[in-house]
Amino acid sequence: MTIQVKFALYNAVSKALIILAFMTLLPILVERIVYEHIDKRLVARSERILLTVKRGSIADIVREQDCSFESYNILKEEFVAIYPITDPLKMNNGTQIRNETWSIEGEKLQHRIISRPFLYDNQMYELNIGEGISTIDELKSIIQRFLLVMMLGVILISLFIDLAFARLLLKPLNSIISTKLLPVPSPAYFNFTPIPSSTAEFNQLDNRINEMMHKLKDSFQIEKEFISNVSHELQTPISIIQNRLENIINEGNLSDELLIKLSDSQRTLNRMSRIIKALLLISKIENDQYLKQDTIGAIELMDEVLEEIEERLTEKNITLHKYFYDDYNITQCNRTLLFTMMTNLINNAIKYNKDGGSIDIYSRVKDGKFQIEIKDSGIGIDKQDINGIFDRFKRLNKNKADGYGLGLPLVKTIAGFHKIEIIVDSTPNVGTEFVLRF
Amino acid sequence: MNVLIVEDERSLSHEMEIYLSRQNLNCDVAFNGKSASDKIHANSYDFVLLDLGLPDMDGLDLLRESKKAGIESAFIVLTARSEVEDKITGLDLGADDYIAKPFSLAELHSRMQAILRRKHGLKSNVMSVHDFDIDIQNRTVHCKGNSINLTKKEFDLLHYLALHKNRVLTRIQLTEHIWGDVLEDDYESNYIDVHVKNLRKKLSAQSSVDWFETVRGVGYRVNA
Repeated sequence: MTIQVKFALYNAVSKALIILAFMTLLPILVERIVYEHIDKRLVARSERILLTVKRGSIADIVREQDCSFESYNILKEEFVAIYPITDPLKMNNGTQIRNETWSIEGEKLQHRIISRPFLYDNQMYELNIGEGISTIDELKSIIQRFLLVMMLGVILISLFIDLAFARLLLKPLNSIISTKLLPVPSPAYFNFTPIPSSTAEFNQLDNRINEMMHKLKDSFQIEKEFISNVSHELQTPISIIQNRLENIINEGNLSDELLIKLSDSQRTLNRMSRIIKALLLISKIENDQYLKQDTIGAIELMDEVLEEIEERLTEKNITLHKYFYDDYNITQCNRTLLFTMMTNLINNAIKYNKDGGSIDIYSRVKDGKFQIEIKDSGIGIDKQDINGIFDRFKRLNKNKADGYGLGLPLVKTIAGFHKIEIIVDSTPNVGTEFVLRF
Repeated sequence: MNVLIVEDERSLSHEMEIYLSRQNLNCDVAFNGKSASDKIHANSYDFVLLDLGLPDMDGLDLLRESKKAGIESAFIVLTARSEVEDKITGLDLGADDYIAKPFSLAELHSRMQAILRRKHGLKSNVMSVHDFDIDIQNRTVHCKGNSINLTKKEFDLLHYLALHKNRVLTRIQLTEHIWGDVLEDDYESNYIDVHVKNLRKKLSAQSSVDWFETVRGVGYRVNA
């Protein structure tokens, strides 16, 4: 989920919560305000009536028979009533305001009522002034509806503004991600252009990323120089010894024994040279020092490799089966490296095969992807060893003196460089299968 | 035939000098770019064996200068840097060949001969070894008028041995020549023996191959 979406979600949810809270509180609030208003009015009226009562005679108002008075308007929304208090419990009551259902001429209506006891002519009376409150509910719902519509509008507008602002605010961050973090190019192609932003944090982020990229680039450069230097420093002495050995072997007049020793030394030296070459090759690939500008057909590549080493099959009387069902154009690759990779894989299939064994090579599309399968009928690899076959200098078969196992690490490095997936499956004494998925 | 060895590593230039002198080549040595440049302009060399990592200048610059000045010597670039770009740049600048260190002197010599053939168009491109005629141009081998069908590797092997006749070529020298470009971890294999066995079988079907000697534990030699 992107920050922008999170922002938008947060805004929507928080505003929805605010509306919800408002909608719940609103009726109570409206009621409060309306009651306060009515109460003020009721108090004022009661004052006025009491004043009238005090000035004139209560007898002018109240009826003869029960000394009470009732008056209401035509819609029974308002009424004034005066009763003499007979219940001694009620005598000490002060002014009270309450809601009560009054029955006026058989019609029951909800009223807000103020009750005020007063003394007149040694008789306690209670003045009740009521005002109908049935309109309040109506008022509440009108206000509620009005506010709801207004708030929804405000929220919608603010949501759009928030989104636009978030987009504007996060623009530098998105630029940093899209130009510097997402492509993960090799250090040679790093983009150091500063991303302009008025946000301090983004500037810091961009600066730090640039700094880190510079450091990475520097260390790549150092490694590159190191590889080049090591290459020169190691290969030169090897060259000297190799050439000296050649000259000594060519001198003649050497005993057979000495000749064999010298040729063995040559072989050992060659082995050392090859190990260094393989290590340097791996480092150079990892240091991104190879171009990927070639295009080659998979079958063409395999035929080339087979032409180079096919004759080795005769040593162990191995039969080769080629099942080239589909071809595939490998683009943006390094031909020399792929050649090295395939050579090592097929050579491996020969080297660890049995006498009179076989090698099957498939080239086909499987599960929507092109793949090359190399199956041998060799000695196989134990299950627990399979994960280790790509480790440098791991020798699986301890009885065999040869091979310091740089062939498969090299294969893995080259495959990784070309984003080719390698799957290995093996059964001891049945054979091993390498699948390359492009 | 005059050769200038431009190599600052004295032990290495010394070994090259020994080997090439034995092939009846006149060798001159320069240990830095300045002296190499002087010698190239003062003398006429058939070959300049040029190391790229010189103490005072880049070998490629020396190559560029020399070609600009119209020097006609054949240049073979020698480098331990093993940079692909070096190779491409070197060949673009007019180098005739490129060998990565460490290289075999026999390989260097055979490359020089290949350049000679290419540059001067030797009268005969056919080498004869007893009853066998090796046509280098067309990559064919004939014996008493019969064509012998050899694989690419078998031909390379026979040609290389014939080129260095009367000298032992070790298995490593042969392996490096046949599969030098292939980097693999098969250090102890004797695939070369398989090729020799097959080659001998094909040749002996036509005529005697007594001249094709196995030097036990070392390698092979063509005696002529």
